[in-house]
Amino acid sequence: MKKTTMLAALLATTLMSTIAHAQTIGPNGESATLSSEVTLSDADIAALTGKGYKAALLWHTASDFINAVAAGANDEFARAGVDVVVTTDAGFDAAKQRSDIETALAAQPNVILSLPLDPVTSAEAFREAVETGVELVFLSNLPAGYVHGTDYAAIVTDDLFQMGKQAADVLAEAIGNEGQVGYIFHDAAYYVTNQRDQAFKTTIENDYPNIEIVAEQGITDPARAEELANAMLLQNPDLDGIYVTWAEPADGVLAALRGAGNTSTKIVTLDLSEPIALDMVKGGNVAGIVADEAYELGRAMAAAGLKGLLRQDVPAFVVAPALTVTADNIAEGWQQSLHRDAPASVLGAQ
Amino acid sequence: MTTQSAPVLALNNIRKTFGGVVAIENFSLDVKAGEIVALVGDNGAGKSTLIKIISGVHAPTSGAIQIDGHEISMSSATKAREHGIEVVYQDLALADQQPVYMNLFLGRELTKGPMGLLDRKSMIEETERLVTELDVRIPSAHATIRDLSGGQRQGIAIARATHWARKLVLLDEPTAALGVAETAKVEKTIAALKSRNIGVLIISHSLDQVFRLSDRICVLRRGNQIGIRETAKTDKNEIVSMITGV
Amino acid sequence: MPTPSTAAPAAHPFRSALARVNFQQYVVYVGFLAIFLFFAIVLRDSGFLSQRNLVNIVLQTAPATIMAIGLVFVLSAGEIDLSFGSIVAVSALCAAMAMAAMPAAAFPLGILAGIGAGLFIGAINGALIAWLRLPSFLVTLATMGLIAGIGRSLTQLRSIPVTDPLFTGIFGSGSLFGVPSLVIWTVVAVAIGHLVYRQTRFGAHVLATGDNARAAQVTGIKVPNIRIMVFMISGGLAGLAGLLYAGRLQAAKYTLGETDLMTVIAAVIVGGTLLNGGKGSIIGALVGSLMMGMLNNGLILMGLSVSDQMIVRGLIILVAVAISLREKSR
Repeated sequence: MKKTTMLAALLATTLMSTIAHAQTIGPNGESATLSSEVTLSDADIAALTGKGYKAALLWHTASDFINAVAAGANDEFARAGVDVVVTTDAGFDAAKQRSDIETALAAQPNVILSLPLDPVTSAEAFREAVETGVELVFLSNLPAGYVHGTDYAAIVTDDLFQMGKQAADVLAEAIGNEGQVGYIFHDAAYYVTNQRDQAFKTTIENDYPNIEIVAEQGITDPARAEELANAMLLQNPDLDGIYVTWAEPADGVLAALRGAGNTSTKIVTLDLSEPIALDMVKGGNVAGIVADEAYELGRAMAAAGLKGLLRQDVPAFVVAPALTVTADNIAEGWQQSLHRDAPASVLGAQ
Repeated sequence: MTTQSAPVLALNNIRKTFGGVVAIENFSLDVKAGEIVALVGDNGAGKSTLIKIISGVHAPTSGAIQIDGHEISMSSATKAREHGIEVVYQDLALADQQPVYMNLFLGRELTKGPMGLLDRKSMIEETERLVTELDVRIPSAHATIRDLSGGQRQGIAIARATHWARKLVLLDEPTAALGVAETAKVEKTIAALKSRNIGVLIISHSLDQVFRLSDRICVLRRGNQIGIRETAKTDKNEIVSMITGV
Repeated sequence: MPTPSTAAPAAHPFRSALARVNFQQYVVYVGFLAIFLFFAIVLRDSGFLSQRNLVNIVLQTAPATIMAIGLVFVLSAGEIDLSFGSIVAVSALCAAMAMAAMPAAAFPLGILAGIGAGLFIGAINGALIAWLRLPSFLVTLATMGLIAGIGRSLTQLRSIPVTDPLFTGIFGSGSLFGVPSLVIWTVVAVAIGHLVYRQTRFGAHVLATGDNARAAQVTGIKVPNIRIMVFMISGGLAGLAGLLYAGRLQAAKYTLGETDLMTVIAAVIVGGTLLNGGKGSIIGALVGSLMMGMLNNGLILMGLSVSDQMIVRGLIILVAVAISLREKSR
């Protein structure tokens, strides 16, 4: 569920045009730079250390995902001797976000990392920060009309297309590259889920001629996932696999499969979650989970902001890679994505 | 005062039925200015219904109500107040968190100036004058009702009714919840109303109190008016037998 | 004065003066000062005391303060309004949409649409409560959700930009003689609110209604009208708060005001207004609201993590409410 809370704020506005493309591109059509290319050299670290630089993390909400991003950012800032003096949570409230920005500016940070709640309201909200010359690094979303270089240092986001594509790949592998699959997508205009869902569908259609999507079902409320999955299974009892847009509704789909005594239909979903991972390591229906590298996302945001501070060129649009997690690499995958150990229940069941 | 001749309140042949049930039958009573009349009777005798008729909550099914010799119709409690009738309810109808002076002027606050702002100074002065006159001893006109004793509250409720009543004050069981000392205090306040030349109609269960306070006693039994006696010319035994019918 | 009897305590000058002092009324002021001094010392090097930051606190709390004034009236009348947060968003959206539809008359239309929407919803709340005799908690719980849904459907979750410079100046970033407009709005609303609440018959009738509705009624106060009026005041002020948000963010969004509900209730209660009616303070609500804003601001500047901020804020509110409510129910 970590990602969906973030999604609630992300309206598909300026970014919707990217859906048709075969890779993740930026809000103004920028091509993506891999986050691994945005790093601080030892010389950079030396130049930053001891300058008394300060950073502020102005998040839109508090969640598992944001915790991992913040951990990545905090560690990178610590490496450069930069104090994180302010951390806030706007609770999806645009007015609160504006207040948080003003409050944070009183602490005179040099770098601000933030997820702007939506392009329209955040344009005015971040104006004061732009005017004071703070290096701004945005997560996923860009205030309307902002110019790279002068207004902000960079946008960093997940490689959304890769996440959807890898979900298709892992499902295809699990069912032997042929068969019938069901497609449960997020039926709301949210940039992140829409891109991932569409990438899955595109990949199946283009790369796997022997796999057919025979059932499509939109979902808005994860609590209804079980009944939707039951209906889908009733009409298509021979499904080989099901794609579920994110982990929370996947719980419901899993419950439907168990209720029907179905052990053959494979599930693939996005974002790490304990119950889903547990089913996977126990050899259940879940074939794979595609995760983002949230920790890496935070690290890259911090690095981009600090490079801006050093007046170095920072790519406008940075993506952190997607990560396929299966029963074989669950421990490493969890570390790589969230930078912490997988839950004991999951590790113990292996 | 013009009220010397005609009674302030005259009830003529009042009858009240609820559905088919007769609550009050053929009731007639005069209350003169400066007179205290007690209304007694057992539970269910119709005292409360009568109070509600006089205070405008219920309209009588038939019969006439006169104030100062003029026949009036009372459609609501507001109308009754306009005719100069005030009621001291059994629950006192005081706003507990408000100061004494605001309670005395509840719903009828004094204002001043073109913007109609509250004239607290006048209300406080008037309150202090009134509580002194009626000898209701309270710490101050600013005191909050909640902080007063039962007797003090009763005193405030009576003072409020007295202040606004031009013709008649109705008292419903004014000392039911009070101790001996406080009862004596409230009775003193009620007796002081006589000098203000308004009529008082009091409902009480305590015959001792009725004999201490009233000029006349009116007895009700099962909705029927049993009789009216001058207090000085009757005794408890007669009244008790009128109430019980034995 | 006659000799005091045992039945009635004498009017001792000292005691009566003491009786008039309501200690709980001052909890909010003492609390405000204590928190201010604490932050002033702890955060002396972190920009807390900078003029900019102090002004920011007032600016940030302006909409909540305006909402708090409305809530003081509603609570004082013995009712509760849970819907004002949702009204804020709908009012801001109505204002923004009206201005977008007719840019030529943007300013008057925006005000009319924003305040009008608030008054209208308030009147519906009030009518349901006063005439149908439904409990206000349930009515406004229902309308809170209903209005939030309308806010979402009005614009399909989109944000509407507000570009009229007169509007964004007067309700947002403008200033008069160097005083930011949001500060002026706060001062004006508090002054008028305090005057109406303390110095008019209407204010007295609101208190009487909340204190003892039956007593109010038998003394001729039109209780249903009072109830409708307080909900219209709450709705209208929520509408004004919506305009302030729209002016400040130069945009309207369906989430505006939604998270203010608990903050505003806490500010009003800490400020000395009783939850069950009959007693309250507009000035207390203002100080309570500033205290909440200062608390948010100071805890952020202390560099606490988000969860620690929530824990500390919750504890402080709990202590403040406990002190003010305990004193009240002696």
